[in-house]
Amino acid sequence: MNLRERWNLHVARAMEQDRLVALHRTRRRRRLLVVAGAASVLLLWADAAVSWAIAPSDTAVRVNLVLLVVMLAIYIPVVTALNSATRGLASLPESRLDERQVAERLRAHTYANRVMRLILAGLAVFVVVATWSEADKSQIPAAAVFLGVFALWWTHFLLPLLVAGWRLPDPPPDDDQDDEQDDEQSDDQAGAA
Amino acid sequence: MAEEPVFNRIAVLRADRGVSRRDLAAALGVHYQTVGYLERGEYSPSLHLALRIAEFFEVPVEVVFSLKPFPKLGSAS
Repeated sequence: MNLRERWNLHVARAMEQDRLVALHRTRRRRRLLVVAGAASVLLLWADAAVSWAIAPSDTAVRVNLVLLVVMLAIYIPVVTALNSATRGLASLPESRLDERQVAERLRAHTYANRVMRLILAGLAVFVVVATWSEADKSQIPAAAVFLGVFALWWTHFLLPLLVAGWRLPDPPPDDDQDDEQDDEQSDDQAGAA
Repeated sequence: MAEEPVFNRIAVLRADRGVSRRDLAAALGVHYQTVGYLERGEYSPSLHLALRIAEFFEVPVEVVFSLKPFPKLGSAS
């Protein structure tokens, strides 16, 4: 087994572990997670907008750092919980998924692709409108361009997971959970007797 | 295109044979949640997976899957 296969196996096992279950137990909570994930991406876009407006300046650097820290503070638990809820549907290589998971991933990518097209169209319109009045004299700070491209890439990267988390139905109970529930009921009945 | 429902008796067969979801999933090479989604009718399997499920239970595929609801146990039909 080469290094890549080992890594994939490690990730696949990690995805099977229940992490932050309280955050993604119900569909409502999962959708709230998706909203939080989208908000974290919006912070990156806000970062780019701040750079466009006031970069280069010390204030821009400070605001960028604060926004990045807040973004990461939201992003890390959200992605961990959504990956656990979807069992790595959007993250694992296709060889580690079964036919249902592959089909669901393709669906998630299809919806994400549609959303991405809308974002790209909106971005193109925004840039044209924002630079229209200055015509060929308009200047965009390099920091804003870099952060804008980074936000675009990050959005593209995260959207399939957000779509998969939004669409995910409540998973069927595990056999072990069934057994545990049966045991608990038996204990309750024994206690009552 | 709306997906046509495919009814199945996986849960009944699994209970009858005393096979857990995880065991069935391992035998079929799918995620155990997929077995749960199949049982709940929320996922219709590919022909290949349907045939392998029938093969696992050693019954014809039409015993496991149907386009019409299966009669309930004890009903006249």
